[in-house]
Amino acid sequence: MTTAETRTPRRLPVPSKPRRGLRTSRLVLAAVVIVVLHLLAFQGTGFRPVVLVEGWQGMAGFLAEAFPPDLDWETVLRPGLEATVVTLWIGLLGTTMSIPTALLLAVLGSRTTGAHPLVYQAARSVLSFFRAVPDIVFALIFVTAVGLGPFAGVLALICHNTGVMGKLWAESMEETDQGPQQALRTAGANRMQQAANATLPMVVPQFVGLLLYRFDVNVRSSLVLGLVGAGGIGLLINQSIKSFQFDAMLTHIIVVLVLIVVVDQVSALVRKQLSGPNS
Amino acid sequence: MNMTMTAPEVSTTALSVRGLVKSYGGRPVLTGVDFDVRYGEIVALLGANGSGKSTALQCIMGLADPDDGGIRLGGADLGPLRGRELAAARQQAAMVFQKVHLVPRLSAVDNVCAGALHRMPGWRSMLPQLYPRQIREEAMACLDRTGMAGRALEQVGRLSGGQQQRVAIARSLCQRATVVLADEPVSALDPHAAEQVMSLLADLAHTEHLAVATVLHQPDLARRYADRAVGLLEGQVDFDVAPADLTGEHLEPLYLPDRVAA
Repeated sequence: MTTAETRTPRRLPVPSKPRRGLRTSRLVLAAVVIVVLHLLAFQGTGFRPVVLVEGWQGMAGFLAEAFPPDLDWETVLRPGLEATVVTLWIGLLGTTMSIPTALLLAVLGSRTTGAHPLVYQAARSVLSFFRAVPDIVFALIFVTAVGLGPFAGVLALICHNTGVMGKLWAESMEETDQGPQQALRTAGANRMQQAANATLPMVVPQFVGLLLYRFDVNVRSSLVLGLVGAGGIGLLINQSIKSFQFDAMLTHIIVVLVLIVVVDQVSALVRKQLSGPNS
Repeated sequence: MNMTMTAPEVSTTALSVRGLVKSYGGRPVLTGVDFDVRYGEIVALLGANGSGKSTALQCIMGLADPDDGGIRLGGADLGPLRGRELAAARQQAAMVFQKVHLVPRLSAVDNVCAGALHRMPGWRSMLPQLYPRQIREEAMACLDRTGMAGRALEQVGRLSGGQQQRVAIARSLCQRATVVLADEPVSALDPHAAEQVMSLLADLAHTEHLAVATVLHQPDLARRYADRAVGLLEGQVDFDVAPADLTGEHLEPLYLPDRVAA
């Protein structure tokens, strides 16, 4: 008698999928298309590693001038730290001040909570517009109204972040279980009540996670906004490059690095707490 | 609870379905269904998967649009009603789902209050923290009626399947529904929890005079808890009998393999 240890496992042939040939030819076609696109892209961007190797001295000279970083408190480090705090404020306000607009457009622009197909389409279009226009363009526009400085950066981030976060929120509402919403519909709740009492409570953890993710991104975006005059540490980095003070630039970059790592870690920590037992 | 005072007399018809026809993409699901449910009785709807039991309930609740046929709820013919009047008429009926459809992150009492959203003032219905106190107290009484008052403040997601279903039934009580339609309320529950939920539904029918119609996949539960068993076969009512008369002759054609496959 065979025991469990000596028994040879049974095997059965795996049935082959029909229309295999068609799938293979499709794969080949996809591969060819991807390769051709890459060749075109290499050409279009002048992507030639040789140039990089040949020009190494330029980089080396630049880095040599940057080292050691200029850590002078009065002229470099303190203004750098102060500007970094401003960058953080821009990122924070750009994220939180866009919550009402993003929430409104997300609720209207989500297939599950949207009132009317026309309203849905309109909300989606507004979101697309705010998403499509880069924050840096918004910043340039707002600088003309409110002048150079962090306020223009905040306004720019509010606009762009409304578009991105609104879309992410709308999608997470569409992906969540529709059952509770349907149950409230059969209980006679109107669309607003369904959204407020079923859909939104279900997606709160996702919403907060996405909010933190956007805060993370927005702090980094506000660096770039500084380059076009919207305040913060980006402005100082830009100035130090233009005046060939590469050692001061390095100091600012190190400060920025610390800021980014701290923001990243804090938001990761909070997100981990959120996805804990309650989700 | 005071719902016995408002509920109409026992044995008047609460729900009446006549000639209900519904097809999905050319495939007929209901081809003329008739059945009644009276106040104070619990009716089991039996039938194979795809026989149209759930579709019938969905048509009554407005989750599906019937192609033809008449539905009367609490004396009101739903056919000519539109908009607010239709919604008001439908509020007499509450639905209990197989997958309970509660909000897992909210407490039991908050979920039960949500059954009363239709009679809450606008802004106070936007957040559980704003729900009026009378409604919260009524919700507690509903939870008490289903034996869940002791778990009122617990997150629903932490309750067992049977407990969740009893919270969902409490929500339909808080809706002040006089007709409860349950779509496979015990299919996802273990035998003990299934017994509890079925005996609760039967008790609500008999002591609160609710009209209860429940889709079941266990003929045995129908025999023990229902006052009547209605069998659906290929989109039509095949039998409508007292559970005591429910025999293999009734049930076998319902679950023949070729029928199930269709």
